Amino acid sequence: MTTCTVNGREHELERGETVARLLDRLGLTGRYALVERNGEPVQRASYPEVELERGDTLIVARPVAGG
Amino acid sequence: MNDTLTIAGRTFGSRLITGTGKYESFETMRDAVLASGCEMVTVAVRRIDFDARDEDLTTFLPDDVLLLPNTAGSETADEAVRVARLARAGGLPDWIKLEVIPDPRYLLPDPVETLRAAATLVEDGFTVLPYMLPDPVLARKLEEVGCATVMPLAAPIGSGRGLKLRDSIRIMIEQAEVPVVVDAGLGSPSHAAEAMEMGADAVLVNTAIAHADDPVAMARAFRLAVEAGRLGYEAGIMDEAETAQPSSPVAGLVTQP
Repeated sequence: MTTCTVNGREHELERGETVARLLDRLGLTGRYALVERNGEPVQRASYPEVELERGDTLIVARPVAGG
Repeated sequence: MNDTLTIAGRTFGSRLITGTGKYESFETMRDAVLASGCEMVTVAVRRIDFDARDEDLTTFLPDDVLLLPNTAGSETADEAVRVARLARAGGLPDWIKLEVIPDPRYLLPDPVETLRAAATLVEDGFTVLPYMLPDPVLARKLEEVGCATVMPLAAPIGSGRGLKLRDSIRIMIEQAEVPVVVDAGLGSPSHAAEAMEMGADAVLVNTAIAHADDPVAMARAFRLAVEAGRLGYEAGIMDEAETAQPSSPVAGLVTQP
């Protein structure tokens, strides 16, 4: 099984799964989903192109209420 | 009065910036933002909790209000830079409220790490608004590395204690060549008015509005206080005197002999 971790949780990858597809599968349809892959931020414009790989560590964040 | 605030070439019609934290609902937050007249609001950046899916805060905010992501939760420069880069890559503005805070009790910022992060982020193309202790020397150094503002705290975050560090802020206002935004610790509209009368360019308020009994009314009160304080500053405040100065003529009294 090919998996990566997303916010510490194991995620089973589809073949050729991109960042955009990941966000779609996670149901993240909000205005902002901020993605860090293996410690590097992913540019929003490249979400449809960046393919995830086995063992990737992803953080998905978003703006929340704060001061 | 056509009074505007300019930060990094962007003009704002309001000198009040508000935080979006601590409201009981996003609806109340939105109504308070509208009542405040502010044109910039702070937001935090956090991992999405897949088990607790809340609504998207940003959909409650008017489109013409600038989102100012903060780096709250960062204890080092490296952490703050990481958060800022993540926010920008994901489509948030390249403006960042820089907070580097290692101290959970008083939430006082680390000046050394803040300066280090500011230099890195400016170099990286960010418009940096650093939260800081009111230290005129640090303010100058932050300016020198290219920060767009300096944002001294009035009192600890969320304390509502007002301008406890008034004298240092006054020196910063006197010396700064970038806008001075008094951020944190303001508890009532009069505190905001006082900061503006001193010549602060703007204030940033969150808890005082969000934790009011009526946040929407308090947002309006802060709006008026900021406008009144600024207008008073622009109008030129009278000199104080040690003794009374009569306001009515001393000559021609009806009762004079």
